[in-house]
Amino acid sequence: MKTIHQFFSSIRLTVLLLAVSTVLVFFGTLDQVHYGIFHTQQRYFESLFVVWSYPVQWPGHELLGWIELPLPGGYLVGTLLVINLFFAHFRYYRSGWRKSGIILIHAGLVLLLVGQLWTQLRQKEYFMWLAEGESNNYVESFHTDELVVIDRSDPQRDRVYSWPVEAFSRGQTELRHPGLPFRLRVVGYAQNAAIFPMEQGPPNTPDLNVTRGIGADRNLTFIQIAPTFREGERNVTTALVDVVTPDGPRGRWIVSNVFRQRDPMREFFPRQTFEVDGREFEVALRFERRYLPEPVKLIEFRHDRYPGTDIPFNFSSEVTLGDPGSDDARRALIYMNHPLRYDGLTFYQASFAEGDTMSMFQVVGNPARWIPYWSTLIITVGLLLQFGLSFISRFYLAPAGAAAPAPRPAARQSAAGPVK
Amino acid sequence: MTTERTTLLQRIVVGAVFVFAGLLFLRHAMPERYDSDFDIAAFVALPVQEGGRIKPADTVARTTLLVIANRTTVRDGDERLRAAEWFTEFALNPARAVERPVFRVEHPEVMGILGIPADERMYVSLAEILPHFDTLRSQWESIPAESQLRTSYEAALAKLRDAIGLYDALSHAYTGPPVLGRADTGLRMLRRALNDRATLDPESEEARTVENALSLFAGHFNRAARTTVLATVPPLEGADDPLAEWSNLGSVLLEATETGDLDPLAVTYAEMAAAFRADDTAEFNSRVADAANLLAARGHPPAGKIAFEHFFNQLSPFTYAAVVYLLVFLAAAASWTVWPRVFANTAFWLMAAAFAVHTFGMFAHAYLMGRPPVTNLYTSAIFVGWGTVLLCLFLEKRFRNGLAAAAAAPVGFCTLIIAYHLSFTGDTVEVMRAVLDSNFWLATHVPTVTIGYSANFLAGSLAIVYLLRDRLFGGLPAPSARLIEGMVYGVICFALLFSFVGTVLGGIWADQSWGRFWGWDPKENGALMIVLWNALILHARWAKLAPPTGIMQLAIVGNIITAWSWFGTNMLGVGLHAYGFMDAAFFWLIAFVLSQLACIAVGWLPRLRLFRLRPEPVGPTGEAPPRAPGDLTAG
Repeated sequence: MKTIHQFFSSIRLTVLLLAVSTVLVFFGTLDQVHYGIFHTQQRYFESLFVVWSYPVQWPGHELLGWIELPLPGGYLVGTLLVINLFFAHFRYYRSGWRKSGIILIHAGLVLLLVGQLWTQLRQKEYFMWLAEGESNNYVESFHTDELVVIDRSDPQRDRVYSWPVEAFSRGQTELRHPGLPFRLRVVGYAQNAAIFPMEQGPPNTPDLNVTRGIGADRNLTFIQIAPTFREGERNVTTALVDVVTPDGPRGRWIVSNVFRQRDPMREFFPRQTFEVDGREFEVALRFERRYLPEPVKLIEFRHDRYPGTDIPFNFSSEVTLGDPGSDDARRALIYMNHPLRYDGLTFYQASFAEGDTMSMFQVVGNPARWIPYWSTLIITVGLLLQFGLSFISRFYLAPAGAAAPAPRPAARQSAAGPVK
Repeated sequence: MTTERTTLLQRIVVGAVFVFAGLLFLRHAMPERYDSDFDIAAFVALPVQEGGRIKPADTVARTTLLVIANRTTVRDGDERLRAAEWFTEFALNPARAVERPVFRVEHPEVMGILGIPADERMYVSLAEILPHFDTLRSQWESIPAESQLRTSYEAALAKLRDAIGLYDALSHAYTGPPVLGRADTGLRMLRRALNDRATLDPESEEARTVENALSLFAGHFNRAARTTVLATVPPLEGADDPLAEWSNLGSVLLEATETGDLDPLAVTYAEMAAAFRADDTAEFNSRVADAANLLAARGHPPAGKIAFEHFFNQLSPFTYAAVVYLLVFLAAAASWTVWPRVFANTAFWLMAAAFAVHTFGMFAHAYLMGRPPVTNLYTSAIFVGWGTVLLCLFLEKRFRNGLAAAAAAPVGFCTLIIAYHLSFTGDTVEVMRAVLDSNFWLATHVPTVTIGYSANFLAGSLAIVYLLRDRLFGGLPAPSARLIEGMVYGVICFALLFSFVGTVLGGIWADQSWGRFWGWDPKENGALMIVLWNALILHARWAKLAPPTGIMQLAIVGNIITAWSWFGTNMLGVGLHAYGFMDAAFFWLIAFVLSQLACIAVGWLPRLRLFRLRPEPVGPTGEAPPRAPGDLTAG
């Protein structure tokens, strides 16, 4: 017990963990070149272990490709640091104002680490494209997809049943809901797919026996390809689904997020609908959506350039929130460094297209966004106390005669290592 | 602090050093004089619009030459042209300028294409390039778009391509394109044609001939209007709008073929060019004055600023500061062999002088940008060196023994050299993309993080002085060793505070602008690595896990991490902070890392004595060494 306590409270462990963190952050930065920020973040900082391998793209890969470096992931290092801190606190704690800085610094650090953990677990990133005059009541996820069945039988409002694709990427194939008179059976899934007409494929292209929807109309098939992690690229997530009623199967559809994409300058595909018991349903695989309480409408997008160049001088989007017809719609101007905060989300100006008539907002939801503010305030006060006060008192407030104090006691010298 | 008496010889030597520094400053501060009766200074003081802002033509002259020739003078046989002289000729007498060897070619195979023996020279003229243009063009097609994938041959080819492109884009700023093969007669013919069109019967045969001639001109002007990025004609109204777009000469001439009205400024430019080619200095000088008056009458807003920028260019404060930092290092190093106290004082005062000029240059540059001091990689280099020297001045003011000066002067010198090489990419006074458009955060987050870099480099550099002196020059006396240990410790405490606060301010900026505090972006990660490493060094020291030599080695690792954070992360081309891959810089980063590893390895050497050094004066007149600032373990 005592040795465990000594191990977890030792500053040797702190130094080791700080060194490991530095190495982890370094390799977690290097790998972003090949895997993009999002994927690297998951592998390195939201994990317990990670193995760095010599990148294929680097010179000398033929000889050095076997090099691998196992590292503890961010969650493991972070947890150990917090444990280390608690044990060390109780082992080394001495009362007195001189140590108050240290305590504040470390308390703030724990809060910062916890806040980062919370953020990593809960933060969602979405986007929203709007053309001038267009309004929308949802934002779409940058990274995750959902399989949806939409009940269109009510002319007033659609009812959406949604399953995240992670569920069937883990092998769950039967999707059912009490509100639906049928179940979905996922018979094929590709995180990233190449979709093409049968006749364009190589001779042994698998026939998926698609009987309904776009896949049947255009005689499509798909094969699984390596997922992309590059910044700005998105996987063509695709699934093959059967609709099965108690009376038997109703057909097989290919659903894919490219069919439902509405980025600018992309083709629009028809909706894939069918009827069961006289009710109209749509099946689709799309970017995961989060619906907003009220629609956002883009009134005008503005973009000025520096004269004679293409360097942007400013961008701004004027939007309204709320029912566009009503008088109480709230107006807002979103521009650089001035995002819109709405419904727990932050909308900021991220891109534009179509000759400055379309605007894209990046939308971030982070429930822990206040924690860094508090923790950094605490740490900064702690650092100022620790370094600033003692610096001033020793460096400037010391009386002139004491400017060159006597050498430190010999014991200190030997403790600090051999002094020659 | 100096109470001992100085000898006559010491006074003479120190006096000579300061006289040299003073004369060098005067040489920088005095207006450039040209070996010509043409008023070249007045010509390059004329304002132009380029790269989104209004500046003196002098800035275009210097930055263009830096980009295509990587220096600010042209050597053509025995002739030596300064940037302003070259640019005047380039702008007004292009037929002569094409023979000037201004294109720097960095690969023997590219020289081979041009049929020039590679060991003969590095500079070629456009006239030498043009006969091989088709071969070059076919080679350009195979250059990979991503600069990381280029071989050195392809990189040299791409550099030449971009240089020729820049040369072309700046041509025809003051002289129209050669119409019918002759630049001189172009304007006269255009005026005659416009005059004929206004007077002739539109139905007549002559009028049709005139129309044909005008449409031929219009074709040439149109091409010049589309390719020229240097705009020399301000609009008649709306000069106070910062986004008001100036016209280039091509579009002014093109408009004239439609409306029949020729802008008087275009006429003045043409007369100026004709006078220059005819070697008529009096006419040229009076036309330049006319042009200046016409431009002033249109009220382009920052007239004083233009003049200040011209002065700033000539002063080149950073070149001066770099040279003096070199002197500081020499003086500090000399203090270890002779006259310790005298040379330590010399180093301090030289450093103070260089710092004053450095400070002026930094704020002048910020004033020209209309931004806080650090806005791009170039200004960060200026600021890192500035911060290091500032911290060093605090240490030297107290200890006055040349140790901190010897550590900081090389950092100041190297960062200014880095800045100089970064200026090869173009005008350093850039307009800022809207994404970084926030003066509040630029004035808080960026300088704080950058001062963190400064402090880390100072700590690492002090550690190098410690290890080299201790291991290669027969051991460091105990008082000096303890003094440097204290300095390194204090500077790292400072570095941790600033790196941490700066990183956090960046997070707050990110949250304010983009709704997320931390995004694991390479630049953010780099800053985090610095914070982690500083914390590691302090914990290792507090817990006495490493002897002083080990702490010094860790501080040198801090140099590597800081360089990675500063430059390495930009080379990855990932994330919101990526401002472009710099392939040449990659080589230097690796070289820097290797040099630091070598310094770390020195710490494991047995103690050698390559040369006998004197102990530096530690504390006034033989007292015990002062205690380190902020040393918490003592007392």
